[in-house]
Amino acid sequence: MFQAILFYTFAAVLIGAAMGVIFSRNPVHAVMFLVLAFFQSSLLWLLAEAEFLAIVLILVYVGAVMVLFLFVVMMIDINVERVQGGLVRYAPLGLVIAGLMVVELVQLIWARSRFEVATGGFAATPEGYSNTEALGAILYTEHVYAFEIAAVILLLAIVAAISLTMRKREGLKVQNITSQVAARAKDRVRVVKMEAEKRQ
Amino acid sequence: MTISDFLPAAPEISLLCSICAVLLIDLFISDEKRVVTFWLALVALLLNIWVVVVSAPPDPTTIFDGSYIYDPLSQVLKVAATAVVALGFFYARDYLRQVGMLKGEFFVLGLFGLLGIMIMISAGSLLTMYLGLETLSLALYALVAFDRESPQAAESAMKYFVLGAIASGALLYGISWIYGVTGSLKFAEISQSIAVRPELNDVPLWFGMAFLVVGIAFKFGAVPFHMWLPDVYQGARSPVTLYIASAPKLAALALILRVLVDGLEGLHGVWQGMVMVIAVLSLVIGNVVAIAQSNIKRMLGYSAIAHVGFILLAVFAGSEAGYAASLFYTLTYVIMAAGAFGMVLLLSRQGFEAEAIADFKGLNARSPWFALMMLFFMFGMAGVPPWVGFFAKLNVINVVLDAGFPGLAILMVLASVVGAYYYLRVVWYMYFERAEDKSVFQAGRDTRALLSLNGLAVLALGIAPGWLLALCLAVIG
Amino acid sequence: MLENYLPILIFLGIAALVGLVLMGLGFLFGRGEKDAEKLSAYECGFEPFEDTRMKFDVRYYLVAILFIIFDLEIAFLFPWAVSLDLVGGFGLVAMGIFLAVLVVGFIYEWKKGALEWD
Repeated sequence: MFQAILFYTFAAVLIGAAMGVIFSRNPVHAVMFLVLAFFQSSLLWLLAEAEFLAIVLILVYVGAVMVLFLFVVMMIDINVERVQGGLVRYAPLGLVIAGLMVVELVQLIWARSRFEVATGGFAATPEGYSNTEALGAILYTEHVYAFEIAAVILLLAIVAAISLTMRKREGLKVQNITSQVAARAKDRVRVVKMEAEKRQ
Repeated sequence: MTISDFLPAAPEISLLCSICAVLLIDLFISDEKRVVTFWLALVALLLNIWVVVVSAPPDPTTIFDGSYIYDPLSQVLKVAATAVVALGFFYARDYLRQVGMLKGEFFVLGLFGLLGIMIMISAGSLLTMYLGLETLSLALYALVAFDRESPQAAESAMKYFVLGAIASGALLYGISWIYGVTGSLKFAEISQSIAVRPELNDVPLWFGMAFLVVGIAFKFGAVPFHMWLPDVYQGARSPVTLYIASAPKLAALALILRVLVDGLEGLHGVWQGMVMVIAVLSLVIGNVVAIAQSNIKRMLGYSAIAHVGFILLAVFAGSEAGYAASLFYTLTYVIMAAGAFGMVLLLSRQGFEAEAIADFKGLNARSPWFALMMLFFMFGMAGVPPWVGFFAKLNVINVVLDAGFPGLAILMVLASVVGAYYYLRVVWYMYFERAEDKSVFQAGRDTRALLSLNGLAVLALGIAPGWLLALCLAVIG
Repeated sequence: MLENYLPILIFLGIAALVGLVLMGLGFLFGRGEKDAEKLSAYECGFEPFEDTRMKFDVRYYLVAILFIIFDLEIAFLFPWAVSLDLVGGFGLVAMGIFLAVLVVGFIYEWKKGALEWD
């Protein structure tokens, strides 16, 4: 009962946030609503006892991907009025996709109700069971090859991102702290002994 | 578990180590000596061929709980892919130096792409296959966008990235269905569970498989998922086009042979129809649209679509001879494609891209030898005997006839005849038109020698195709 | 399992409550005498020259994407830390290789100057 109340609260906030993403005039606000939407869906994952997914959703999506989104939104300088025009223009396509998804969901719920009659649904997770631990137990043993390939992909992403976006600007005067600290008095000042010049 | 258990995966491990070494050494090389990175990358590739040959276990084995396969097929494909990448680096070197794009990242990204190709070739499970594909694709997206000053390159990279992401999504969706139905990601277990439980061969499995076929067709660039291919071929700088046009085709072949043949052999009757439709469309549209092109990179892009039609039809036939024919066709096509783009690079120089077919006008007057080499590549692709393309096409037609589809065989012959027109037009331009451009080639002597060897190989393989054919049959069986 | 998360739920409730109460208090007791002058942007006595929302430099994007990559690495460390007793020495070596590959990337971006802001 209590869980049902929580579920409906989180789901309602999630839908509200999703609406906010679509209808915000300001793209930055839309991104903020998206953060809220991700947060709420992570709470829903938690209610479904998928702890690891919930944590990753917050850590990766809310923590990093949304920051990237925000930078991109700020970088491309979206014109607010033009975006509003796009809402009307793409509305038919959006409605068709939304309609399709509704049909799929209804079918899924219908299929599931049939399925549950046949098998009695999913077994409850046993006490003390942690799916993060279960995931780790096979990720680093059975799927170790895939795990190392993931490292390669991350390395590749570093190389690709740097080679595509990094620009060295020419003629910049940069402070070189090492050489500053290493400076000695004799490098800077030279005491010269000169003969006094004769008066003319 | 000991270190020697992982020996079959030595090629991938050593290639990753070489990539890291090249990446780090490149940091300490000044811009004037950047060509050192090229030689390092070349050393890495030669080392890779050596490791692939030396580390091979006597029998086909699987390691990492079945997610890595070693078999003779993987060995042949890996050697071929590495050799073709090395060719591509060689042809690219002088061009990159002239246009001021000689950067270490080009070679590092190319090596990463090769690593992705090798992971795909040896993939024993859908998960490894997908990760290999992503490694390859990510490297390719970055390579296409490599020239940051060019708006065309940025546009085509964008198209490639968005469409590629959709295709990866389709592939992943299909994979999740297959996993849901069969309960495994490994090809051996999937095919076993289909064999043991025939009732699985039903709509949910077909549904997942359809998405896999879509993903495969996209990566091959087969119609109707070919939209990205001409734009990317044209928009990317020529060395990158050479790269995309050659080695990744071998990975796509590995993808289709592992997924549809190793994993879903039991559903052959179902995927046969899908593959046939895609192959026939590719054959027709690729050949017909290529006629209308005036840009040679775009023309070769459409011709690649047509060649993919042949490869898919060989797989479609579904016999061991058919798979061997597809392997033979891909291996020889990749050699010809590398050579043809090598010629485009040879003609290009600073401030001038030999992108129009008209740029080949009067090549015979400028350099009879390289006009002859281009003629070899064009005749090879068109399938004129005795160049190797002829035997590749003949093989596929034979296999399709044996499988009992004479109509398809006739269509393939007709498509080849149509295709011959646009290849021969290039030859016509070279020999019977007057040159507008009289400059001398700036490529180094080693590059020219390699390009000549490449051209002669197309002829030599055509005169004596027997050993390669036997090799293809041996590694498939 | 869910009981473990009860403190977080209470925390969320309190956070929402505090936020709403503070806003409500302001709304109830604020004087709220707004006029056009008061709501306009104030910039040393003259009208603002340009829009406050200016384009960001692409370098922020590079920093963010490099951050995401190492963030994902952390996501891989989580289940490893939890299941270390199950995966044993093999898992330890596997994670060592994983980190070594990424350290190569770190050296690359450091030496390349991607972490510098100039």
